Amino acid sequence: MRPSLRLLKLEASSLQGSRSLYVCTVCQHEARPRPLIARQFLRNASSNTTPVTERVRRKIWGTDNPPGLKDPYGGEGVFERKFRKNQPQPEEGAQAAEVASQAEHEHASAEEVATDDTYEPATTWEGLTRVGHLGEWSNYAPSEADTYHSFALNKKLTKKGQLSLAAHQAAVELCLMQSLGKPLTSVCNVAEHEKPVFKLLWKCKVQPTENGQWGNALVYPNKEAQDALIYIFEQIGGQPQAAAAAADATEAAEEDAEAVEYEETAEVDGPRLPFFGYQDVKDSGFLSLPLNDPALKFAYLKRLSQLSGHFFPDPVIHSISTVQEAVNHMQTVVQPKPKKLAEHLADNESLLSLPNVKLFAKRQKPSDKDEELGRKKIIENELRARGLIE
Amino acid sequence: MKRLQLLRWSSSALSARARAGVRLQQNIARGARYQTTVSPAAQSESGQLADEQSFPPQFSSNPQQSKYALPSPPVEAARESAKLAALHARLYLPSRLPLETLARSLVDTSADPNPNFNNESLATLGHDLLTYYTSEHLLCTYPRLPLTVIFAAMYAYVGPKTLTAMAKEWGVETAAAPGGEVDPGLLQFKRLLPGTELNAEGATMRPNAHQKSWRKSITSRIVYDNEFGEQPQTQAPVDAQGAQGVSFERANATFVRALMGSIYLHAGRPAAKRFFEQHFLSRHLNISELFNFSQPARDLSRLCARENFEPPVAKIISETGRKSRHPVFIVGIFSGKDKLGEAAGASLLEARSRAAVAALKGWYLYSPLNVRVPSSTEEEGAAPWKPVHVDLGEVIV
Repeated sequence: MRPSLRLLKLEASSLQGSRSLYVCTVCQHEARPRPLIARQFLRNASSNTTPVTERVRRKIWGTDNPPGLKDPYGGEGVFERKFRKNQPQPEEGAQAAEVASQAEHEHASAEEVATDDTYEPATTWEGLTRVGHLGEWSNYAPSEADTYHSFALNKKLTKKGQLSLAAHQAAVELCLMQSLGKPLTSVCNVAEHEKPVFKLLWKCKVQPTENGQWGNALVYPNKEAQDALIYIFEQIGGQPQAAAAAADATEAAEEDAEAVEYEETAEVDGPRLPFFGYQDVKDSGFLSLPLNDPALKFAYLKRLSQLSGHFFPDPVIHSISTVQEAVNHMQTVVQPKPKKLAEHLADNESLLSLPNVKLFAKRQKPSDKDEELGRKKIIENELRARGLIE
Repeated sequence: MKRLQLLRWSSSALSARARAGVRLQQNIARGARYQTTVSPAAQSESGQLADEQSFPPQFSSNPQQSKYALPSPPVEAARESAKLAALHARLYLPSRLPLETLARSLVDTSADPNPNFNNESLATLGHDLLTYYTSEHLLCTYPRLPLTVIFAAMYAYVGPKTLTAMAKEWGVETAAAPGGEVDPGLLQFKRLLPGTELNAEGATMRPNAHQKSWRKSITSRIVYDNEFGEQPQTQAPVDAQGAQGVSFERANATFVRALMGSIYLHAGRPAAKRFFEQHFLSRHLNISELFNFSQPARDLSRLCARENFEPPVAKIISETGRKSRHPVFIVGIFSGKDKLGEAAGASLLEARSRAAVAALKGWYLYSPLNVRVPSSTEEEGAAPWKPVHVDLGEVIV
């Protein structure tokens, strides 16, 4: 017999003596001795000053002032915080402004109503407090962060000359930045130059040096162009030191200011020719520029992808070592691989030059074989004679 | 260096009808030849004119339609054919031989009767070259061969069966039916109708040709028959469309001959000779197996009498097992002190006749050292021709 049952029996036997001393079951349970832990818990819980977790922490550290955060368990929950925020806000609002908010009044009146006997459950959501901003965000005016500006061109360049122009422009700009000793990737801050600036860039030639340095590779068309370009690109990095050099070329500064304005208005103008209608580059010396320096390669490919709209996958970036290879990659992407095997084979020069190889665009069926052997006309004649085909 | 006037030489070869000879008799309407007194040349001229008039140029706006209307593939199709280029490369043909000519050599007369587009003229030239080179090679290499053996060897080297086998080895495939849409790399000819008599002998200039039972002497074969000593076969009967079919064998042989002719025309004589040596003479032919003696002992004695040798005497050189089931006698034939031949046999007679055959073969298969053929003097700067020894020939019993 289990002890609890024995205990009950004992009680029952004791009760049998006097019927007047009846104790109900609940009271019996109350009187029963409780387990030790529960009793401890009750005792500790009764002192409400510190939460259980805090007490555990204190026990672990052995001091009443354990190190670490005040509340290492993440603080209050979301709802707690929400309710905490809602409750003091009206109070603050009342303290700060004389004008009591309409909602607060309604809230207060609702509580009053709830306390009254005339409480009526809501049947619709009209007039109830809302959580979140349902239906409201669409009423907000679009902010600065809401508009999307793509880094690269919206439409990829496809013409060969335009791709070369983009590669040339990026090369000339990076040569300038390298020679000026400015951060290379900051050229991407200017998405597009103004026409005179672009013309100056277009006129610049690139002659790769022996040691592969980009800074010395640029050949300016004349001295004025050099001064103007250096002045413009001094400002691109956002360094204030350019102001010292600005004294002699103020007209160039105006040009640049115009350029910035023009950039903003350009989108309003609608579709415009890329590269101001220039078709191809003047010289192709930039193609042999090396891309050995990783920082330079990154900056160049970033600027090139911004100008051309073509992005470079990581394996391709890894394999590219000169400007020529980058341009080649863009051109191969522009001409995608043919989907049919016959088209793919028809592009193969070595196959086409073989006289004993014949490429068919269509599948060769037995009827084609018949025709090649001269059998088809006989078969058709026979079928026609028997009225099997018209 | 003298300029080779290939064009002038080829003009006679390319106009097939303007040529007199054995093959001419096969090709021109023979009936008219015998019934008129016009000279063959004049008649062939008029025949050629008639041929040209009977093939008016056919043009059509629809290329596909016109392709079907053509009797043989158009000339420009030769460049697009993979089979043709493959054949050209496989035979290691000279690059000066264009694919168009190779395509033309694959078109038989029965496929395209127009002599400007079929291979007949090329085949005529090629046949003459082949037989010329073969016969001079045989005569200079074996100057004492009997004429029957020469005929057989000629047949074995450049006979139609050999040429057919060669075309097969070269991988030349045949078209089912000729036409303009057919791949030009296929041999095109019109097939014989089933049930056609194949071995019908054609008309010859031989007198008393209707006497089938009369013996045809070797000499008359030289005069009246073709280079293989055979009476030429007849043309197949004309079918409903007016064109004649040819046998597979004949079409293939014509192609090989036409190829030889086109190599000669386009690449010149040295290339043609090289082609002949590489493809024809390189085939192994055991000439000693072509002999067929009925009475070798008698032939040998006649030969010795003709050549003023002492009469041949057969002597037993050794023997074994005369009384056994399988005796072997080795008999030698001696003329005076010279042993002409020796052979083994199961009986004395057999051994003697075998020894006589060996002696005769030793005589007939004599081959001089440093064989030089007459056509070798055609080369630039060749040594002058020194007449070679050609024997009287076989003994006539």
